[in-house]
Amino acid sequence: MTKKNSSLWIDYVIFGLTVFLVFCLVFESFIDPPSLVAWLGRWHPLILHFPIVLLLMAAAIGLFNQIVPKLLLTIATLSALVTAITGFFLGTESVPKGDLLFWHQWMGAGVAILAVLWYWVSTNHLQQTYLVKGIQLVLITLIGFTGHYGGMITHGEDFLALPKIKKLEKIPENPLIYQHVVHRVLDNNCIGCHNPNKTKGGLLMTSIGELVKGGESGPALVIGDPDNSELVRRLHLPMKDEEHMPPDGKKPLSVNEIQILERWIALGASDTLKLSHLDNSEPLAGMVIKMMDTGAKNSWSKLPKVADSTLQNLASDYITIKRIASNSPALSISVYLPPEYDPKNITDLKRVANNIVELDLSGIPIGEKEMDLVAMCKNLEWLEIDKTPVTDTEIKKLIGITGLRVLKAYETDISDESVAVLKDFKGLKSLYVWETQISDMGLLELKEAIPNLHIDSGIDPELKIEFIAKDTIVNSIQ
Amino acid sequence: MKEDRSISENPLKVNRRHFFSQLSVGIGSLALGSLLIPDLFKGSPQTLESRALGIPHFAPKAKRVIYLFQSGAPSQLESFDYKPTLVNRMGEDLPESIRNGQRLTGMTSDQDKFPLMPSAAKFAQHGKSGAWVSEYFPYIAKIVDEICIVRSMHTEAINHDPAITFFQTGSQQSGRPSMGSWMSYGLGSENQNLPSFVVLTSRGKGNSQGLYSKLWSSGFLDSKHQGVLLRSGKDPVLYLNDPEGISRSDKRHLLDHVSSLNKIHHVETGDDEIESRIAQYEMAYRMQMSVPDVMDIKKEPESIIKLYGEDSQVPGTYAANCLQARRLAENGVRFIQLYHQGWDQHGNLPNEMAGQAKDVDQASAALILDLKQRGMLEDTLVIWGGEFGRTNYCQGNFDPKNYGRDHHPRAFSIWMAGGGIKPGITFGETDEFGYNIVENPVHINDFHATIMNNLGLDHEQLIFKYQGRRFRLTDVAGNVVKDILA
Repeated sequence: MTKKNSSLWIDYVIFGLTVFLVFCLVFESFIDPPSLVAWLGRWHPLILHFPIVLLLMAAAIGLFNQIVPKLLLTIATLSALVTAITGFFLGTESVPKGDLLFWHQWMGAGVAILAVLWYWVSTNHLQQTYLVKGIQLVLITLIGFTGHYGGMITHGEDFLALPKIKKLEKIPENPLIYQHVVHRVLDNNCIGCHNPNKTKGGLLMTSIGELVKGGESGPALVIGDPDNSELVRRLHLPMKDEEHMPPDGKKPLSVNEIQILERWIALGASDTLKLSHLDNSEPLAGMVIKMMDTGAKNSWSKLPKVADSTLQNLASDYITIKRIASNSPALSISVYLPPEYDPKNITDLKRVANNIVELDLSGIPIGEKEMDLVAMCKNLEWLEIDKTPVTDTEIKKLIGITGLRVLKAYETDISDESVAVLKDFKGLKSLYVWETQISDMGLLELKEAIPNLHIDSGIDPELKIEFIAKDTIVNSIQ
Repeated sequence: MKEDRSISENPLKVNRRHFFSQLSVGIGSLALGSLLIPDLFKGSPQTLESRALGIPHFAPKAKRVIYLFQSGAPSQLESFDYKPTLVNRMGEDLPESIRNGQRLTGMTSDQDKFPLMPSAAKFAQHGKSGAWVSEYFPYIAKIVDEICIVRSMHTEAINHDPAITFFQTGSQQSGRPSMGSWMSYGLGSENQNLPSFVVLTSRGKGNSQGLYSKLWSSGFLDSKHQGVLLRSGKDPVLYLNDPEGISRSDKRHLLDHVSSLNKIHHVETGDDEIESRIAQYEMAYRMQMSVPDVMDIKKEPESIIKLYGEDSQVPGTYAANCLQARRLAENGVRFIQLYHQGWDQHGNLPNEMAGQAKDVDQASAALILDLKQRGMLEDTLVIWGGEFGRTNYCQGNFDPKNYGRDHHPRAFSIWMAGGGIKPGITFGETDEFGYNIVENPVHINDFHATIMNNLGLDHEQLIFKYQGRRFRLTDVAGNVVKDILA
């Protein structure tokens, strides 16, 4: 008797919730839930895991021709209804709804209503019909899609996409400031919540036009005036501030990124501006170059892994092998001259050649064999071969090490022949070539080929004379 | 020896507290898991205990430090902090509103008056940056565009010993590891044939304060991180060379045998210092070859000798030590600590300070130029400065040609160059009296945090637990001074 009563009671609850859900969906545009109800919506992400598991389990049991326990189906149906209703409340918080949310909402409601249908059919003892089988199959599919769309809303549309090529993509040599730099910063930090599917604060950040149009707090970007741009203001708020962007828990922008946005806005927020259009004295140029450098550092994570034991085997009292930073596969290697020098110790490094980004061979009597090893280090960025017997022949082996940033080759016998090779190192930042055979003409040629290159041809001769000439200090006690 | 002894504790030596803390982290992170932490799969920052030592925490800007310590505290008012107001108000008493309760040393606390004293040295602006430098430092004035002058250093100590100990160890009381030892501990050695922390001392004719080995002590860190004092002359490291009649192969046999005995002892007692001892014997053996080679400045060309000044030919001078410092840096020494004594000008300041400046000016500037042409300024951080500043009022007789200045902790100037520091800037400002900082104060803890940052170390993460307490170089304070980073 009591059993009968309680199951009836549950039937009424399920019926009531279903009616309520349908009512909500039908009169969606007229509903403005009070804040407490909206708060209930926040429980959606917690509760939603129950119907997923329970319904899938129940459907699976049914498909394997087993009796689905009544209790399981009851709880599953109830949780599906509660999830759908809380989900509806949560959905009312974001206006306008994007495509993702639209589909998620209707499919979610579909899951709940299908579950109710199944519950109703099974209470009427129609367990093993094709109708039930059909419901079970559709449920499984629908749950999969609903869950996936929900996941895309919270984690971003590309959360399950294969590792992206886009973010790892290097900034091109002469980037468009908006497309390759500014948009990239926005894409990595902001667009996740400000896109057509999830438009927090009514603000879209996918184009300059949308930024100028702005959202609920007015225009996000005022062309030429970073100080009055809402976007910049929010980036600068203290981390604890409610309005700080990106919000609590998300990675804030780096100082350099913020400065880039500011300067770009101040310069007119152009979408056609390129790095090469900027003067060297323009601060934006420096910031962008700095960002391109950091991009290079990130690329270290793509180097092959290398075990500590390998490093220990290759290291010796005269060869120090260090990781650039803890857990980094990028290596920095310094070689010191042992009492008895054997090139083999250096050529053995070929096992880790791809990992070497810094190599210090200064003062070591290296020859062709060692330079062959250097040539294998395709990811080399920093090379010291000063005070070594290298000549133009050895320098030619460096062709192909495109990432070289720093090259120290002072006090060597390299000559203008090497200039032809060095000219192709477009990424070279610093070159130390004093006391070599390279002529002033050669240096000039290099300077023209790589405009951003700093060539150190020794201490400024005028300054040097002042140091070497007699001391100028007066008033000293002696 | 080859192995990097990165906290090679017995893995089973896990105590109860450690066990529970690990356990709670494990369960806690599982529970919070997927729901609440969207970044879960990005990997959490490493726990302290799992950080490997001897490797930077993040990619460093600098790999080594040359610290040109001016022991005794050179006056900021005669070097880098130009205060014309002191000329206008010469002889006036220091207003109480400016002194504002500052405690004084016993040397001037009983003075009736504190008459303001302007600099006897003339100032001029130099370089593209227009930095103010006094006439005592004509060579440094020529390289101001390479350096970053910080005019807003401050400390709590007002006497030499606590002040210099604070600078070197992060604490006014002795016993903590020196900053060089911390760097050696955190970054490991770059060259296995030389100590990673080396000390060179020199002395000017000015009033000197003592130097003592506690300043380069490794404190509670492994003794292999201790600074090694290199002396000038025939025996840079005492007792390093073998006695007459002992061949190198005899020495090798001796070391092998002693080492095997020591290893037995280590197995019996488990004392880690025994391993350090074995390593140090081996290091000393290799240093027999490497040290004479590094110290031999005869290999330097004449133009370099002249660049550092003629003094650099005289072993034991500041100039010779600067040249030596460059050679040590080239050979992978992590932390090269120079001390030049004689900057404590309580009296006779104009004369003594000019003399001290003459000792260090050319060689300090030459070191910067020399490092720069070798591309070493890109990864070597050079620091120049004393332990505190000097008062803006006169100590002793009021004579603009022959006056003294007492200790002043509230504001003083240092400079840094290379290694990720922005060149050609002057940072921080003092009030018109040169007494209090009005802009961008930099405390010693901040200074340490910044240096560590540039070396790729997070000052809050390099920790050593000793006697139940966790210690850092910056202890419980310190902020990286981001504005001076390149």
